[in-house]
This record gives sequence, C-alpha cells and structure tokens, in this order.
Amino acid sequence: MAEAAALTTGRVKTGIQLIDERLGGGFDRPSTLLFFSRTPTEKRVFAEHFTATGLREGERCLYVDFYRAPQLAAREISRYGSADQDNLVVVDATSAQLLIEGDGKYVIRNLDDLKEIAATIRRAIQETRPARVVIDSLEFLADRFPREAILSEWRKIIETGQSCGAAVAFLFINWTYGEEEIQQVQGLCDYVVEFQSRVRAGVIQNFLRIADQREGGLHTAWIPYTFRDMAGLSIYFPRILVIGPGDAGKSTVVRALCGKSLSIDKMGTTVAFDYGNVDMSGIEAEVIGTPGQERFEFLFRIFAQEITGLFLVLDGSRPEDLPRARHLLGLFSPDTPRVVLANKADLPQALSETEIREALGLDATTPVLRTIATDGTGVREAMLVLAEQIMGV
Amino acid sequence: MDTPEVHARLARILEEMRGLPEVTASAIVRRDGVIIEHRLPTQVDTRKFAAMTAAIVGTGEMSTTELGLGGFDQVLVYGSDGVMLATGAGEEALLVTLLRKDANIGLVLLTGGRVAQEIEECLRAAVPQSKEVAYALP
Repeated sequence: MAEAAALTTGRVKTGIQLIDERLGGGFDRPSTLLFFSRTPTEKRVFAEHFTATGLREGERCLYVDFYRAPQLAAREISRYGSADQDNLVVVDATSAQLLIEGDGKYVIRNLDDLKEIAATIRRAIQETRPARVVIDSLEFLADRFPREAILSEWRKIIETGQSCGAAVAFLFINWTYGEEEIQQVQGLCDYVVEFQSRVRAGVIQNFLRIADQREGGLHTAWIPYTFRDMAGLSIYFPRILVIGPGDAGKSTVVRALCGKSLSIDKMGTTVAFDYGNVDMSGIEAEVIGTPGQERFEFLFRIFAQEITGLFLVLDGSRPEDLPRARHLLGLFSPDTPRVVLANKADLPQALSETEIREALGLDATTPVLRTIATDGTGVREAMLVLAEQIMGV
Repeated sequence: MDTPEVHARLARILEEMRGLPEVTASAIVRRDGVIIEHRLPTQVDTRKFAAMTAAIVGTGEMSTTELGLGGFDQVLVYGSDGVMLATGAGEEALLVTLLRKDANIGLVLLTGGRVAQEIEECLRAAVPQSKEVAYALP
C-alpha cells in the first residue's frame, strides 16, 4: 500500500477553484513550493488552507510546526472546515523548546542540531508517504543556522519529497537574506507563492501571486484574497466598479451578477449607487454600480478609489453615448483591469465590436463582450473574463 | 501602532460610544465606503452600510459646498424609529452613530466631536506600510 502511494503523481489542489483551473488542476506532485513574503503576511493561512484542502481530498498531509504544539496546529487547521484529521501528521518541534517530552511519533528533540531536525522531517516523509508536506517555517531555521548548512539540508528534504511523490511547501518570510540568496532559494523551487498585504486607514488587504518557476510556467498578477472561518480562502475583489453612460443598463448588470442588490434609484435612474455581492466559482466580489449622468459624478468619485476592476457598460445601439463612455474610462489608470460590456445586444441597431473599440480607443487586450443584462446573457461570463484580467492569467 | 493595536483602540472607542444612553450602534467607515471597525447589529450588512454612509456624507459635503454653507459638519437622517448621525473623523474616516429616536442630539454631537478627533488621531498614529514594501500592487 505504502509503495503504491509513493508512486502517486498528479496534482494537489489549492482549493481555490479559479487558481486550480489555471494550474491545470493544482500544483504538480511531486514538486517543491515556496510560500514566500518579505513582510509579515497571512502566509500561514494559505498553508493551513492548503493542508485542509489535502485532508478534504483524502490525502495524507504532514505539517512540521516550529511554533505551535501539534494539538494546537491540528485544531487551527480544522478551522477550514471539517476534514478527516486522521490523515494529518504533525511533526512536533515545540515540545523541545518547552523542555517537555513530546508524545507524538515524530518529535524533534534537539533544536540546536540542524541535522537532527532535517533527519526527523525526512524520516516522517519516508514513513508516512504524504501527498503534501508543509514546513512552517524556513525562517525559524534561518534565524538559527548558517545559510549554507540550511540550504544543504533543505536540498535533502526536497530530494526525499521528490522520491516519495510529495508536494513539499516551505513557508519563508525573509528577514535576513539578500536578493541574491532569495533568488537562490526560489531557484530550488518549482512554484513560488508570494504574499503581500497593504493597509489603508486600518483596513488590511491581502494579495498573493503564483509563479511557476519552470520554462513557460504560469505567472499570475497580484490576486486579492480573503479568509473566513470554515470557508477558507477565496479570491476576493473588494471593489468592482460598474461605470457607463446613463441608461446603459448598469443597475441591471449589478442585479444580474449579484442576484439581489441594493439600488437607490428614482424614476428608473440611479441617483446614488447600486450595491451587490458576487459569490461564484470561488470568487467573492463587491460590485458597486455608479450613476451614469454627469451631474452625479461627485458620487462616482467617492467610489472610484482602490478599484480592483471595472465594467464599462454601454448601450450597444447608441453611438452617441460613446464619447461619454470614453471620458469615463479615461478617469481610471490604464492599469485598472477592465471589461467592456456592449449591452442590449438584442437590439437590431447594435454596433459592431470594431466600431466600439475604435470609438473608445481600446487596446487589443481589453475584452469587449456582448450582453443582454435584462435576461442575464453574458454577464456571468463577463465576471469570469474580468477575473482573468485581474489575475493576469 | 500596528494594525491590531489600531483596531483594538477603535473598538474601545466604539464600546465607549455604546455606553451612552442615546446611542444604539456605531461604526467607523473609510470615506470611500469601506468598513474599518463597527459595533452594528448582526442583521446589518456592514459592507453595504459602509458604501451607503460614504454616499450620504459625500452628498452632504457636496451640498454644503454647492449651497455656500461653509465646511461640512455632519449629516442627520431621521427615521420614525431612530436617527443616523454621520460626521467626519479626519481625512480618511467617518464616524457613524445610530441613535434612539428621542435622543438628545446636542449632547451626542458634543461627545461625537471629541470621539471623531480621537479616531483621527488613532488612524494617524497607525504605522503606514512603508512604500518600498508595497511594490507593484494594483
């Protein structure tokens, strides 16, 4: 049985649907992963989510924890939803720090001995044959041992992981190493998942990006994400703005995307804004529809900050609206991910895509989709296309 | 102050607000409509609430400017069962308070002004993330 498991190759899912699709089903197995950041971020949340996803898939997972007692680590991993905890093996590296006898099967007794640390991890990998290994974390070692020694032991762990068919993930926040050493560390990995967070007025926003280090591999842009107990990680777009000339169907687009939405309108015209939540295919988003008329532009400016992405909605049968649409688009940085919706595509006088592109001065990378928001046609697709634009894949 | 400390202090400020007999709930909202910290009833959709508040205050500010009423102080929204009061709390934030319908507004305004100032100071003391760290984010 153990031998059969050892030969298992394939993919390990991240548990985030859209990312798994882009990765062709998940990270390669075997492979070496680096969960990396330059500042304190929520890397561990991703690592725990990664572990919990493996457990849910029925895979064996090995978690090496230098910071938490095994019971605590296991309990925190269970925050990500119910999963079979029997398949979770935690390597105990904390009992020795507390000068107590650990009672688990894999206990690192001497934390001053790098060779013993690495040997215990390797033995655990060889004996338990896990699909996933998480080592939390490399910086614990980087603070204590010389770099060359760590890299040499690290290579051995990677080799053991490879030969046992495991995806081995190392958490690493860089306090001490220079750019050259980081390159060296990243060079040893197949995938680098990098984390960053940003704070404005006390509100934290988290981002991750994935780079497949191999030739022609996937490289994503910074993807915003969020975490909730039991649901785990999901891609989260905190602000998708719906802009466009008056009477183009912006409120209808918000409604079609979000099911129920809040709309403040008078006589069919949005006078304040529309608001709705999207929850689909592992994406959560907050969508704000702005009023189209020029006289409401002050409101528009309140919401036109820190935009994750844009929908420009047009009445695809009204060429006279296009200058206004172009003006609105010009209010945003060209780097803002965007999708143009040529709405009311069911009307007979609908403009061609070329006409729209020319009038708006769009570059070739901006998608133009035909939609009929009143019956929802094309709106969901538009959200997925926008997600691709944001994720850069 | 780091981010958790800022939140702890803001939460304490809101707890104090709730101690006032006129106040039923309160929240601190970023001016572009993102919730920072709140003590709102669970049935309130906080994200929607934040967006609404930003729009109301934005409209209020626009009105004072356009009508020559001077600087913006606060917006009051009267419902049959209660009152919503929104004031600025520095450049980045707003303080929103929900009050009982028979509340003594003058008294609340007095406290609110002081609290708004505390919030402003607290957010200003927050350690901004250093520029070189936030590289190439959207």
